[in-house]
Amino acid sequence: MSMDWVVLIPLLPALAFTVLAPLSRAARARLVPVAVAAVLGSLGLSIAAFLAVWPGGHDAVWQGSFTIAHIGDRAIPLGLALEPMSAIMLLVVTVVGACVQVYSLGYMHREDRIGWYYAVLSLFTAAMLALVLSDNFLGLFMAWEVMGLCSYLLIGFWHEQEAPRLASIKAFLTTKVGDLGFMLALAVVYAEVGAFDFATVLHHDWAAGTATLVALLMLFGAMGKSAQFPLHVWLPDAMAGPTPASALIHAATMVAAGVFLVVRAFPIFEVSGIALTITLWVGLLTALLAGLLATVQHDIKKVLAYSTISQLGFMFIALGAGGSTAALYHLVTHAYFKSLLFLGAGVIIHAAHTQDMREMGGLAKKLPVTSLAFASGSLALAGIVPFSGFWSKDEILTVLLHEHQYAAFAIALLAAFITAFYVARLWFRVFTAPTQQKELHEGHRSMLAPMVALAVITAVIGFFGPTLGDFLGHEIPWPALGTAAISTVAALGGIALGWYVYGRRTSVVNTQAIKQRFPHAYGVLANKYYFDLTYGYFVVGGYTALTRALATFDARVVDGVVNGAAAAWRSLSAAGWTFDGRVVDGAVNGAASAVKAAGDKVRTLQTGSVRGYQTLVAGAVVLLVIWILVKGA
Amino acid sequence: MTVGLPHVLTLAALLFGIGLYGALSRKNAVHVMMSLELMANAVNLNLVGFSRFVTPEAMTGQFFAVFSMVVSAAEIGLGLALVIAIYRRKRSVELDAVQELKG
Repeated sequence: MSMDWVVLIPLLPALAFTVLAPLSRAARARLVPVAVAAVLGSLGLSIAAFLAVWPGGHDAVWQGSFTIAHIGDRAIPLGLALEPMSAIMLLVVTVVGACVQVYSLGYMHREDRIGWYYAVLSLFTAAMLALVLSDNFLGLFMAWEVMGLCSYLLIGFWHEQEAPRLASIKAFLTTKVGDLGFMLALAVVYAEVGAFDFATVLHHDWAAGTATLVALLMLFGAMGKSAQFPLHVWLPDAMAGPTPASALIHAATMVAAGVFLVVRAFPIFEVSGIALTITLWVGLLTALLAGLLATVQHDIKKVLAYSTISQLGFMFIALGAGGSTAALYHLVTHAYFKSLLFLGAGVIIHAAHTQDMREMGGLAKKLPVTSLAFASGSLALAGIVPFSGFWSKDEILTVLLHEHQYAAFAIALLAAFITAFYVARLWFRVFTAPTQQKELHEGHRSMLAPMVALAVITAVIGFFGPTLGDFLGHEIPWPALGTAAISTVAALGGIALGWYVYGRRTSVVNTQAIKQRFPHAYGVLANKYYFDLTYGYFVVGGYTALTRALATFDARVVDGVVNGAAAAWRSLSAAGWTFDGRVVDGAVNGAASAVKAAGDKVRTLQTGSVRGYQTLVAGAVVLLVIWILVKGA
Repeated sequence: MTVGLPHVLTLAALLFGIGLYGALSRKNAVHVMMSLELMANAVNLNLVGFSRFVTPEAMTGQFFAVFSMVVSAAEIGLGLALVIAIYRRKRSVELDAVQELKG
């Protein structure tokens, strides 16, 4: 049986976007079910695709390609391929995408522009699905850029306010800096190999130097997309967008695309040892530093954002240590539990009408379903058995031990400890601290159902680790008892510390006191290691000056030319108007008045007197006769 | 004395002259029409005369005269109808009473 229906998986959401985008605001809002139906259709097809690939292995089950361009005598083909890794990613993207779209029905139902939101969400889903299905770097890059656009549009969804607008520009430009690396990597790849498809590029006989160059450029692109230090600055600000969009784009899928790219290009990284080491240390730095930042944030979404950066760091650690399967495993589990946490945060924000955790508290009693689902996600994030994060984090730690990266192992363990600490901090502040608000209500069914689904997945998916490994043609062993014990101790320690500081019934958290006890450390964390200030001083200032200069150029020169052309055209048409009025109308009116004057003269002949006519006729006859007589003679 | 073409033509000319005079000098529409009839009959007389004395073997002129008389009869019928219509509106058959077609 032909498997060409695989094309429909990214095509259905793309069609939904095509239907919604050109319509009016009201029509789009009515057609929101089209977008939901499209993503549900993609989900169904993805399950079918997964079953078709089962039991996995290495080979592509289906492949299709077409040529988009000829440059000289070289053809540039774009293709899609369905193989085990893309089948897994299809499931992740469509499950999270479907959950988010159903959830948004409840979360966004008061928005006027809900139709536009769904249109962009559909376009994003289509791009992400095309990205994971793509069988070449060029198609991957194109989908990557479309996702960047959608991210920009969704962060700036409430563009009437200043913060989302600035955040969207920041996110777009920061990721674009990384994209530059990716693009240069593509240029080097094409110059070296002359093709883009994975099979050719990855089986190429790479020289170590070229491989390092390509790998580092790709790593830079991945760092921009996956918000790794030092290109992480956009992700916390991106929380200005709608929360479900953050769950899909800035937690589960788009930010994981960087990791996915490195997994795809992993053979090149393996040729270059240096690139792997750099990846490892970028990941370690990110996991640790972002985790620390998460401990001082008061905005619940920003805690989750830094947590996402930190967890993506864990994936880079796995990649740097040579465990691409472990990275992919953590990507999958993280996509489910982090989107779950974001959806939960959405319900909490709706209920509490604030994002500041200091104003929340006691939500566990008022929001029972949400708190249970959130607990599942939190325990997974902290790494408590049997929730999914435990298994994938242990897999990463196992890889580190196996590769004898003991320093990295220690730092990763510390990061895991910090993770557990800030999770506990968030949990105790939001759910068990004294209630501060009276009117708290649970989310709507359409919001709770996706969360429950994700919570169940998070709770049970860890038991399928080895199955997933077999499916991918690699090995994901059960965690060794020693590693599991160490990581569990770290997680429990973090939770215990979090409970000690924030959870005890007698504890009153005094941020001011902490600030005074550790002034320097707190200042550094509160200022986010001065990254934004540094960039603001060195990069953004110049960029702003450039944009100002361009704006002046635009106002003076471009507008001048345009307005000058307009003025010239105006005077030309004024002259044309005068010519029309004077000459053309003059000729027409002149002819008419000449005829009228002649008519006025001629009408006097018509006297109405019968006898006058008789005389005239008789006189004429007489003259005629005389004329004939004279002429006839 | 035998009657020849000159006699006929002279009579026709006299008749035409009388008709022309009547048509130009009379105010009464009926009189004017009678005068027009005289002029038409003068022409008919010419036709018959030329037919008899110039081309006696061909009957063209005489047929034409008969044709002309039929047309005159129709014309006078139409004219008298008009005069009656005018009389109904104006209570007069004076030609000077109708000036409506003045431009």
